Amino acid sequence: MPVPESDLLQGTLDLLILKALALQELHGMGISRRIAQITQGAFDVKPGSLFPALYRMEEAGWLISSWGESETNRRAKFYSLTKAGRKQLHTESERWERISLAMASALSNSQEAL
Amino acid sequence: MISRLRALGENLFRRQRLDRDFDEELRAYLELQAEEKVRAGMAPEEAWRAARREMGGIDQVRQNVRDVRAGVRLDRLAQDVRYGVRTLAKNPGFSLVAMATLALGMGANTAMFSLLDQVVLRLLPVRDPGQLVIVRETGNHYGNSYGRNTISWPMFEDLRDHNPVFSGMFCRFPATVGLGYGDHTAQISAELVSGSYFPILGVGAALGRTIAADDDAVPDSRPVVVLSYIFWQSYFNADRTIVGRTIGLNSYKMTVIGVAAPGFDGVDLSTPAKVFVPIMMKTEMTPRSDGLKDRPRRLSWVTAYGRLRPGVSLEQAQASLQPLLHSILAMEALQPEFRRNATAADREVFLRNRVELLPGSENGLRDTMRRPLWLLVALTGAVLLLACANLASLLLARATARERELAVRLAIGAGRARIVRQLLLESLLLAGAGTMLGLGLAFVADRILLRIYLPADTAGEFMVSAIPDGRVLAFAAGVMLLTSLVFGLLPAVRGSQTEITLSLRDRSGALSAGGITLRRMLVGVQVALSLLLLVSAGLFVRTLRNLENLGPGFPTDRLLTFTINPSLSGYSDDETKSFFERLDVHLQTMPGVESVGMSAMAMMKGYAWQNAILGKDFEGAPIEQQPVLNNVSPDYFAALGIPLLAGRAITEQDDAPLKYTVAVINESFAREYFPGRDPLVQRFGLVNDMQTATPDIEVIGVIPDKKYRDLRETPPPQAYFPYYEDIKFRGMSIYLRTRADPRLLEDALRERMRQFDPKVPVVELATVNEQIGFSLRTERLVASLSAVFGGVATLLAVIGLYGVMAYAVTRRTREIGIRMALGALRSNVIAMVMREVFVLIGAGLAAGMGLALALADLVRSQIYGLSARDPFTFAGSAIVLTVAGGLAGLIPALRASSVDPTTALRQE
Repeated sequence: MPVPESDLLQGTLDLLILKALALQELHGMGISRRIAQITQGAFDVKPGSLFPALYRMEEAGWLISSWGESETNRRAKFYSLTKAGRKQLHTESERWERISLAMASALSNSQEAL
Repeated sequence: MISRLRALGENLFRRQRLDRDFDEELRAYLELQAEEKVRAGMAPEEAWRAARREMGGIDQVRQNVRDVRAGVRLDRLAQDVRYGVRTLAKNPGFSLVAMATLALGMGANTAMFSLLDQVVLRLLPVRDPGQLVIVRETGNHYGNSYGRNTISWPMFEDLRDHNPVFSGMFCRFPATVGLGYGDHTAQISAELVSGSYFPILGVGAALGRTIAADDDAVPDSRPVVVLSYIFWQSYFNADRTIVGRTIGLNSYKMTVIGVAAPGFDGVDLSTPAKVFVPIMMKTEMTPRSDGLKDRPRRLSWVTAYGRLRPGVSLEQAQASLQPLLHSILAMEALQPEFRRNATAADREVFLRNRVELLPGSENGLRDTMRRPLWLLVALTGAVLLLACANLASLLLARATARERELAVRLAIGAGRARIVRQLLLESLLLAGAGTMLGLGLAFVADRILLRIYLPADTAGEFMVSAIPDGRVLAFAAGVMLLTSLVFGLLPAVRGSQTEITLSLRDRSGALSAGGITLRRMLVGVQVALSLLLLVSAGLFVRTLRNLENLGPGFPTDRLLTFTINPSLSGYSDDETKSFFERLDVHLQTMPGVESVGMSAMAMMKGYAWQNAILGKDFEGAPIEQQPVLNNVSPDYFAALGIPLLAGRAITEQDDAPLKYTVAVINESFAREYFPGRDPLVQRFGLVNDMQTATPDIEVIGVIPDKKYRDLRETPPPQAYFPYYEDIKFRGMSIYLRTRADPRLLEDALRERMRQFDPKVPVVELATVNEQIGFSLRTERLVASLSAVFGGVATLLAVIGLYGVMAYAVTRRTREIGIRMALGALRSNVIAMVMREVFVLIGAGLAAGMGLALALADLVRSQIYGLSARDPFTFAGSAIVLTVAGGLAGLIPALRASSVDPTTALRQE
């Protein structure tokens, strides 16, 4: 399945956010930290791209947000997955696995050709 | 519905809250990040700076988020619109029918609203028109009057100088004047205005200046005139050098001092003024009648206006004016003029007269058109509602057909709200397209209506235009939104309730019941509404027919008429008298003319000259109605084809200048004033407020009753005097009895009149039949429009009925097949379907009857010669609908009866 690069990148961020929220609800800063953690620091998501993505995903009905207290007793907005969000995480993960499998095999083939 | 509105409202206010929320969220993010850095060992200030640095520009982040929020919504909307347009385009037949139905409803409604708005609703184009009021006196005024909204000049002065409630008062009087400019002559409408008119209205000059207080201080002193903007443009080609030049009004040289602001044509929309003249020039502008310098209190002629002081309401002002009026009346009641006209009992009645204030934008046209236009707007509203019912029914049918599509969309995760929104958007798209078409239709319809309604020569100058303006567009947009909700909401909500599992199952057999009950109810509504419209069409058409059949009481074929007024061309009394004597001869010798009659008052034009009379036989007896009077030429009765029942007609020998000596009366006059006596040689007198009257006018002839003012009246008592005896010659209406079709003579007559005297224009040349037809134009407008609406309504209802029955039959094909397989006859099947058809029609008719009976009182005043609950009209309308609906239902019934049982059963 061909995926244009920009879509792929956006899709990646969405998927990472969904994944980050799969276990527990988190605030913006927490999502950023969690993504860095699960990708072993490969992705450092800056607020400039994080927040637009969060709002877009909330409008799409995948996330729901509410105000709460952070671990240091500060007021912060927490995000959690909705049912649609979990479904999206599921389908996106499968799609991503298909893509990465395809990419991996394509790349290994071309390496052999080299 | 309500929750959706609330959501809409929240969306509007949400923006700000969302922005605030986001700022707070960002701050929290920064603080958390800074804390983390502090924990890692950084100095707090340093940590804060680093956190901000890492974030990048806060404003940019904020803007990105905002873009996303707006973008998502816009994206989704664009997606929905694209999808909606595609869906509609995929089904062009449906879309076209829907748009045409809507265009018809919207067009009719907008066309009528446009007229209603311009004629009835709109206020005068002046400063604070809401503060402006007309000041009038209620009750009998015991004198002569130019109409219900007029008061005498001295009364105006008293009110103006002593009232506590107005910041200013002005008065006006409409007059027709003869205009001479270059070698042009024409009669135009003028408004004689007091010096306070322009300042109080707040209307300025587009050029030069308007009439000021010192232009209007001394009678006959300032021959100045202000032109209306539109008249300046059309007649003087917007010539800027016109200011300072002179034009002739009634042959008086008047200096043009300015042009009034554009859009202002005086305070009476029904007779737009072309020129404004100081009211102190009354004697010059209305020859042979004054009322100003001689200050009679028993002649009411000016319309008085006041501007309410800020904070004073119309009711308060009206209440506080009563004592002032009462003191004026008490003074008037003691005057000899009043006592010559009235008895002691009359005086009691007179002193109970009151001041009444009307909104300043009122005028005669508004008064007569208010009910007919509201009525027509209501009828078009019913047509629109019917169109909506049709569309709702169509959309319900389509929603059923689209169940699978909707189920698929629901299954792949579209929210029900999104489906409702999508379906509503499609309705809105339909309504939008229909409205565009409807606006075009309204424009064409208004143009045609105005052309029919207005005499050809005034159409161009009339204030009402067919071009839709902002108010009309706003109205159309509002109605569009409303209609799309009315016809779209029900199908949309139903569509969103689609059961996924049911609909996705393979269904090759019966169609789902989808909305069939709702659609049946809608058909009932349609039948009810079209009955309502058919009944009103029947009532108004028969009213028109009744009025047309009434006739004026004399033969009107081969009668040509026009009016002519030499006094407006500067002719003196003697010249005017000689003018008419020569004209009489001149026209009698014209080829094709049988006889010529002249009268001071025109027949069947709504005017009358009334006066109280006295005689020894009916002294002190209460008089129900004052007789109407006229001055006529000797051949008048012959020309109009009115026979003499007794006595003789007027002859030239009856000419006794300055005094009435003889009169011809009609039967009603004889019955009323000389009951049981031979009316010939009886005598009566005219009550005159200037001197004591004596009964010395001798009755010389009696004519049958005929109508005088309009077709609706019962002929009033009438008396006719020789016109040579009139001491104040003014205009005359001329009647020509022709040998052939009178229209063939019109051109020759114009030419002959030009030869006779080019300085005096011929006005209102028409056949008497045309003139009478014109007097019924409001009734004709209502009748023909309501007939069209009734027809359209019936058509829509019949289409609706057919649609529902056809669908019902298709859905029951299997059932019908089984019935027939079990031995049902074709006639049984037809009867089964038709029973349902007539149940639908019957229910609709019952509802419609109830509605029509309940609303009948609202139209009573527009109906003549039959009851607003006329059983024939009601029954006839019901029969028309039943037959039309029955025929429409017969088609699916026949189709049902020809179902082949084997095929129907094999379909499964």
